Amino acid sequence: MSAREAILDALRRAREQREAVEHPGHFGGWRPDPSPPALDGFASMFTQAGGEVVHFATVAQRREWLRVFLLDYDSISMGAGVPSDLEGLGGPPRVALGKEHTASVGISRARAAVAETGSLLMDARDGRRAQLLPPVLVVLVEADSVYSALADALEAVGPDMSAALGMHSGPSKSADIGQVMVKGVHGPGRVIALVA
Amino acid sequence: MSDRAPEYRPSEYRAASAHILLNTPGVRSSVGSATRDFDAKRAKAYEEVESDLWRDWASAVKANVLSRLDEYLVQAEESLRANGTKVHWASSADDVYQVLRSIVEENGVQTVVKSKSMLSEELEVNHHLETLGVRSIETDLGEYIIQLLDEPPSHIVGPAIHKSLEDCRVLFHEQLGTPVDADPDELASAARNALREDFLSADLGISGGNFLAADTGTVALIENEGNIRLTTSVPRIHVALVGIEKVVPRLVDLAGFLQLTSRAATGQPIGLFVSLIQGPRKSEEPDGPEEVHVVFVDNGRSALYEDDAASEALGCVRCGACLNICPVYRQTGGHAYGWTYPGPIGAIISPGLLGLDKAMPLPHASSLCGACEDVCPVRIPIPELLVHWREKAVSEGQISKGERFGMRMYADIAERPLGYSMAASALRRVPWRAAGTALPVLNGWLQEREIPEPSSKSFRKLWREGIE
Repeated sequence: MSAREAILDALRRAREQREAVEHPGHFGGWRPDPSPPALDGFASMFTQAGGEVVHFATVAQRREWLRVFLLDYDSISMGAGVPSDLEGLGGPPRVALGKEHTASVGISRARAAVAETGSLLMDARDGRRAQLLPPVLVVLVEADSVYSALADALEAVGPDMSAALGMHSGPSKSADIGQVMVKGVHGPGRVIALVA
Repeated sequence: MSDRAPEYRPSEYRAASAHILLNTPGVRSSVGSATRDFDAKRAKAYEEVESDLWRDWASAVKANVLSRLDEYLVQAEESLRANGTKVHWASSADDVYQVLRSIVEENGVQTVVKSKSMLSEELEVNHHLETLGVRSIETDLGEYIIQLLDEPPSHIVGPAIHKSLEDCRVLFHEQLGTPVDADPDELASAARNALREDFLSADLGISGGNFLAADTGTVALIENEGNIRLTTSVPRIHVALVGIEKVVPRLVDLAGFLQLTSRAATGQPIGLFVSLIQGPRKSEEPDGPEEVHVVFVDNGRSALYEDDAASEALGCVRCGACLNICPVYRQTGGHAYGWTYPGPIGAIISPGLLGLDKAMPLPHASSLCGACEDVCPVRIPIPELLVHWREKAVSEGQISKGERFGMRMYADIAERPLGYSMAASALRRVPWRAAGTALPVLNGWLQEREIPEPSSKSFRKLWREGIE
């Protein structure tokens, strides 16, 4: 008998005498206080976890902010999903695919954001290395892609999943050394969400 | 390192506890402060939400999963295969080794990066990879520290909480050449640099799995450092070892479990990084592993599942909240328990996974105070299950001669009315304080306490005379 059959047989035999238990339905995220508007909620949660959020009234303003910001860096790893108008931004050179670890800053685009957890949903179609290897990560967030509840965001992206979806809810941290918190252990130590 | 902690077996729990407390007093202070800190954060995180409702919901989903575990596993297998993931079933550690060996041999794997996985500890995966001539590197900072020390983890979430900052300074100085007074940032940076090379050169990444959504075939992993995202994204092959009890019905159920587990474990609204993995890189994606394997691991779980009462322990999400609040765990840390899963949850799953004969006396490593059940995010009735295993041990004759003798003596007296009343009358006349102060340990305890005087009359006598 294969391991598969052995395991399934044992489980089936064991539950023959047991009653089926119904699934309780959707997780309600129950809270004592009413939730703030999605965008404010996201900014507050993401900031509390050590992330940075900058709001822009227009996409053009965001582009200008980014142009100035990038002057301090010497190489960029650009996510595949970043809008093409940023291509003509100038600034430091882009690193080639596979060389993301040599870039001093990564730029990526969030598929969605979640207020309840302060999370950015990072899609594999954008390139995972650009989201993970540079020490600083800048993430473009569309203001109308911010969900209040994680369950709603998962329900929305569920039918069209890439190979991997990463949820980034702040900079990389660890307290494994003597219970002292340090930032930027493996993933980016600085994460900036640019909302427009 | 000369101060490597000795490894114990569960049967040596009592001697191991005594040894740890006597010889490594630093463990008790490091574990005590880390667990109190974890627990305070958990308590605050529970207060911010309607945690009773969250826990009722999670407990109900787990009950649903356990009532149809085989069906959800088959569904998860189909969904994973549809995503292009290779699914393997493993009854035992040997089955897992076979899967790993064939992947290693077919791909000429030389270096493996691993993210923290209690299941891989249980299966001793690193040891097996070593025998294949493969270098396997733990990438979670805490796991990296204990791998350098050649020790097992002592806590489910914080594997190195028994080590102080000073311990880490000495270790990193010896192994990575950092200054003896390096601050935590410098130490972390040294580890990051060493591990970054390994991430980029490894052929294979091995992870565990916190949850497995049956409807979409999604393996979910929670972490804070980013090492799991790297382990599952950078090497050409990714293998996820997932216990068969980790399946949940739907992707949207993760909305509850990811948040609740994080709040229970570290008091965070959610782990800083969550990976939701469906399968290998698709053609339109710039990077990601070309092969993804998911191994469904039994290794004693289906046997535990067969015990109707004890099977509730399979709902565990491995948050460590019961360890953090346990007054017994706090004294010794995890090594005393002698196996992968320490603390209250370890005391109820180890007998199921290892066999009760090998796990005794772990179900006794508890005062049954019930704090563990009060904090468990999925409401596992831990004290009830501790008693369940204790009863099973008695009915199987797995108790010490002394205990059996004492219980028989008590039964002999208690079953005879005359014997009982004579014994009770004698006990009322014992000079308790004098007797107590003559004994070691009890003597010290009595210095700050008063022993209440026994009533001169028995309850039965008072009852006959008419109690007010």
